[in-house]
Amino acid sequence: MRARLGIAAAALALCAGAALAQSSVWQAVWRSEGATERTSVVGRARTMTLAGQMTATARVRAAKGKLRLDYEAGRHSWSLIDNGRELIRVNPRAQEALVHPRPALAVDRKLAEQNYEARALGEDHIAGRPVEMIVIVPRGGEQATVKLWLDRETGFALKRERYSAEGNLTTGTEYLEVEFGAPVSGEVFLVPETWRRTARGGQGPRLSLAELGRVMGFAVREPRYVPAGYVLLGGDVREWGRRRARMAELRYTDGLRVLSVFEREKGERMGERGGRRRRGGGRGEHHRGGGRGGGRGRGGGFGFGPPGREQMTLVDRGTEKALRYFGRELVVVVVGDLTAEELVRVARSVE
Amino acid sequence: MKACELIRGKLAEYAVGGLRRRARARVEAHVGECERCRAELAALKRTGALLDEVGADDAPAGTWEAVRQRMTEHPRAGVRARPRWAWAMGGVALVLVALAVLLIGPPRVEEPVLVAAAEADEEMQATMDGHLSAVWAAPLSDVAGVGLRMAALENDG
Repeated sequence: MRARLGIAAAALALCAGAALAQSSVWQAVWRSEGATERTSVVGRARTMTLAGQMTATARVRAAKGKLRLDYEAGRHSWSLIDNGRELIRVNPRAQEALVHPRPALAVDRKLAEQNYEARALGEDHIAGRPVEMIVIVPRGGEQATVKLWLDRETGFALKRERYSAEGNLTTGTEYLEVEFGAPVSGEVFLVPETWRRTARGGQGPRLSLAELGRVMGFAVREPRYVPAGYVLLGGDVREWGRRRARMAELRYTDGLRVLSVFEREKGERMGERGGRRRRGGGRGEHHRGGGRGGGRGRGGGFGFGPPGREQMTLVDRGTEKALRYFGRELVVVVVGDLTAEELVRVARSVE
Repeated sequence: MKACELIRGKLAEYAVGGLRRRARARVEAHVGECERCRAELAALKRTGALLDEVGADDAPAGTWEAVRQRMTEHPRAGVRARPRWAWAMGGVALVLVALAVLLIGPPRVEEPVLVAAAEADEEMQATMDGHLSAVWAAPLSDVAGVGLRMAALENDG
C-alpha cells in the first residue's frame, strides 16, 4: 500500500515538476518580448526570408520598445522603423516613408500556451554570448513553429527561426554582433517632417462583425471553418489603390500564427457577376497538379481542369500563402501560414 | 329539362326525408308541376316501403368465416404476377446503370480550379501587405525577417 502511495506521489511530483518547467520556459519566452523595454540594443544581424530566397544584413537599434532596422542587401538599402504605433518603411533616397499602422494585436498569451508547448533545449552561444535554446511546438505535434536563442543575461532573442505549417524554415534572424545598454538617440525612430508620408492599410482588428458589415454595406460572414485553436480577434476595413478599393478584413490567431480573411462583394471588378469568372493561362500562372475532376478531399478539396472553369488563385511566398476564391456573392481572400488545402477549406466555408 | 335533372338528383334523399326545408320546398313545387318527376318519386317511395317490410337480416352463420378463409387462400387474387423475363430485364438495366457510373463517373459538381500564380495582382498584394503588418505585431514575430519580406512585397508592386 505504502509502495503504491509512493509511486502515485512520485508521478504527481513529476507532473507538477513538468508543469512548473513548462511555465518557467514560457516565462522566459514572454520576458524576451519586452527585452528592449528594459535595455537598449545596438547590433548587426543577418536575416533571411522567403525560405532563404532573400537575405540581408541589418543594423539594429532598439530602445524603450522601439526598433529601427537598416537593411543592406547588395546594392539596395532601406530602413524600417517600429515606433510602437506605426510600422514605417523609409526610403532615404526618395525621402519617402510608407506608413503602416502597427496593429495592436490583443493576443492572449494564454492562447499561445494552450495551443503550443515551450521546451528548453539547452545552452549555446550566439554573437559570443551564452544563450538558452527554446523550441515551441504545437501541442500534440513535434514540428517546431518557433525556435529562440535567448540571451541568458537580458532575455533578448539573439537568434530566432520561424517554421511554416509544413515544417519548413521560412524566416530567420541571427545577431552577428550585439551591445546591450549602448546609448540610442530617440531621433532614429523619427521620420523627417519634410519627407513624403504615404499611409497604408487599416487600423487593426477593432470592429465587430456587425460593425464591419455596416461600414462595408454588406453582411460580412465568418468562415464556418478555421483550423483548431484559432480565435477571432476582430475586423477592419482595408483600402488600397488609387480607386480606394475596399475589403473587409477579419483577423484570427492561434496565439502565435495569424490568419487573415478578406471579403468583398462580387461585381466591383469587371466580369465578376453574371456567370463564372474566366481566367486561365495568365502570365505566371500554373495549374496545380494534373488530371481530371475529383479534387483533394471532400467538400473543401480542389480540382483540376481546363481553363474556363471557375478558378482559385494561390500565391505561395514560402512564408505565407494567399488564396483568392470567387464565391456566389463574395470574393474571399485568405492569407496565412496554412497548407493550400486548409486555405481552400477556410475560403469556401465563408459562403 | 335541366330542372328535372337537378330535382331527380335529390328525389331519393327527399323520399327518405333527408332534405332541408328550402330544398324540400323546391322539390315539392317541381313535383307538383312535373308528372314524370312525380312518377319517379312515387316509384322511389314504393321501393322504400318494400325495403322496410323486408327488414335487415343477419348473414347466415359461417358466411364471414368463409370470406376470411378465401382471402387468406388467394391473397393476391386480381394481381397478376410479373413474368420472370421482366425481373431479368430489370436486373440487366441495373447492371448497365452501374457500369455507366463506373465508366463515366458520377455526375460531377464542378470544383473550381486552383491556379498557382507567380505574381500577386494589386488586390492579392494589398491583402498580403495587410496580413504582414499583423504578422509583424504577432507574438514572437521575427520582425527583421518580416521587414525584409515587406520590402520584397513593396518591390513586387
